[in-house]
Amino acid sequence: MLYLSLVFVFILSYSFYFYGKKRALSLKFKKNENLSSLPDYYGYYVVLLVFFPAIIIWFFLLIFKSNFQEMFVMSPVLFPDVATWSSGKFGLIMNKISNLSMIVNLSEIDLTVGDKSILKMASESEIIAAKNLANFDKIYGWSNLTLFIILPVLLGFLATKSISGKLNAQPIVEKIISYVIKGSSYIAIFITFGIFFSLVFEAINFFRYVNFMDFFFNTAWNPNRAFVINASEGFDQEALKEAFGFVPLLTGTLLIASVAMLVAVPLGLLTAIYLAEYASSKVRDIAKPIIEILAGIPTVVYGFFAALSLAPFIKDVGEGVGLPVSAESALAAGLAMGVMIIPFVSSLSDDVIKAVPQSLREGSYAIGATKSETIKKVILPAALAGIMGSFLLAISRAIGETMIVVMAASLRANLTFNPLEPATTITTQIVTSLIGDVEFDNPKTLVAFALGLTLFVMTLILNIAAITIVKKYREKYE
Amino acid sequence: MVDQNSNYALQTSEVYVHYGKKMAINNVALNFPKNEVTSLIGPSGCGKSTFLRCLNRMNDVIDICNVKGKFLLNGNVDIYSPDIQVETLREKVGMVFQKPNPFPKTIYENVAYGPKIHGIASSQNELDEIVKDSLHRAGLYEEVKDRMDDIATGLSGGQQQRLCIARAIAIRPEIILMDEPCSALDPIATAKIEDLINELKENYTIIIVTHSMSQASRVSSKTAFFHLGNLVEYGETGKIFTKPDKEQTNDYITGRFG
Repeated sequence: MLYLSLVFVFILSYSFYFYGKKRALSLKFKKNENLSSLPDYYGYYVVLLVFFPAIIIWFFLLIFKSNFQEMFVMSPVLFPDVATWSSGKFGLIMNKISNLSMIVNLSEIDLTVGDKSILKMASESEIIAAKNLANFDKIYGWSNLTLFIILPVLLGFLATKSISGKLNAQPIVEKIISYVIKGSSYIAIFITFGIFFSLVFEAINFFRYVNFMDFFFNTAWNPNRAFVINASEGFDQEALKEAFGFVPLLTGTLLIASVAMLVAVPLGLLTAIYLAEYASSKVRDIAKPIIEILAGIPTVVYGFFAALSLAPFIKDVGEGVGLPVSAESALAAGLAMGVMIIPFVSSLSDDVIKAVPQSLREGSYAIGATKSETIKKVILPAALAGIMGSFLLAISRAIGETMIVVMAASLRANLTFNPLEPATTITTQIVTSLIGDVEFDNPKTLVAFALGLTLFVMTLILNIAAITIVKKYREKYE
Repeated sequence: MVDQNSNYALQTSEVYVHYGKKMAINNVALNFPKNEVTSLIGPSGCGKSTFLRCLNRMNDVIDICNVKGKFLLNGNVDIYSPDIQVETLREKVGMVFQKPNPFPKTIYENVAYGPKIHGIASSQNELDEIVKDSLHRAGLYEEVKDRMDDIATGLSGGQQQRLCIARAIAIRPEIILMDEPCSALDPIATAKIEDLINELKENYTIIIVTHSMSQASRVSSKTAFFHLGNLVEYGETGKIFTKPDKEQTNDYITGRFG
């Protein structure tokens, strides 16, 4: 019902647009009044006055629904001593009542007969409360719907009545809209900060167990130690010293991401140059979507492609030339990841190369430059900012990628720069620390937040670095 | 008719240009005397720009454009011959475009671009000299000498266009093609470019497409009037603008159509 009433609010505010506009036009043509604003703005004015108060009340009702429920169900008539209950007891009883209400709701059973064991455990007043609760949703829904027919209509008519030639609707409408626009951008910013701070606070919890320096500079990663220690003697910083060393995860992440970039940058950039400068439009129209499909393949598919096809192939080739290659190698994961991010580089770079004005190409040709010189010396420098942007997007995708590594590169932390050995990444360890039974008072779990925060800071630094580079080397046309 | 008179920098005859099936130039023959300015005038869409772009084969980059005809550089080089590399042709026939199109590089790099590609300078000093000299000739040196390392797109429109002229003359061409070089500029910048054209004709053959009849009469000694892909009339600028032979030309220059 609550959602149905939302639909009503939308429909009503939309129709009031025409009503308000019509009223303004009739003032203009029938009563010869001079309108202070354009007629459309009177329509918007009514819409805003209908829509926003209604939507604010709607959110209020949605958010405080559980409070209304409690007020309705936990009446002192049924439970005379409710005021003295602790919040824990209150919660338990409320839970019991809502469970009961589902049974009561399902069938109109006679509560006094038969062997209904759950019902027998409940007191008389709890059963009544459960019945009340079952009715509550219906009552609440219908009263909402009524409210949302009456309220917008009333507001709409009042707003329309207030329209006169003297009313200058335009600044009012623009003011409200500017607040809405501002608000939307603030929401995005607040959410970013919210995520950041939730990471920070949980990470602080983690660093209560594990020394800051140990985490960032130790080279051993054995988070399962936290379990063993937990069972026997409780936490102690000395014992956890060797458990959470971040360094092998960092090197693993950088290793796999570098392999991926070594694949994606040359292939992607050359593809982009071919598509933008050499391919006929027919080829481009077909090839570009096909390449973009690569980015749409689920990463889990890349994962088993890497684990089942690529890794054994690399192992065979390696052994053929006498190199020891492990079955799960960073190389396999990195190659698969590189293929996955080719379209990030090629598609975006293709777009920015295409966006370089034709006049620059002609200018270069007119001086007698060949096509390849034009591309190298004029077009690529002009498109550099966008190309760097595509690299950056590809890198962050590579660093954030989890599934391929889980499947192809192993979960064991290994401090190495040799792509033929297994390696693991930050994201993979976040996943492994949070799957299974998790307790949020155990460093084994909390480490996910410290890792997440580190990853966040890493990508932030990457972003800032990229923006600085782009600003410095950007060649502006226009 | 193509004769072997070497007083012509460029001779053309029987020129036909098609865009796909649409005819843009229909049997045009024009000769361009050395060290003189020739104007190509005519209403929009008359083919004057298309014709101009044939002269340094800029139409090559347009797939659907098909050029036929005889084009002789200095009386002996067929510019559409398969033996001719288009890059070497463009080294001899430079071009300045309608909208200033400096590269998004420094002022210095813009002018040095051509000489570097064609290997004109044997040393860094010589390259510096070429850049300086080209900017001088384009009348821009005094304005930019202290900011050679600034990005060229920060210059004003008129300065950008003179930079493009400097860029074109840095590779020491014989002919400079100008495609409405002043149409994006204000009157003062236009006057500067026109002065520049008058100076440049000492050393270069200039072919200029223009919409401004007064500009054509100010800068050029020969004028060709195009209409609907045909060359209607060609002659001394003074004659074309005072007593043209054809009525069509008269109508256009007096503003009765176009």
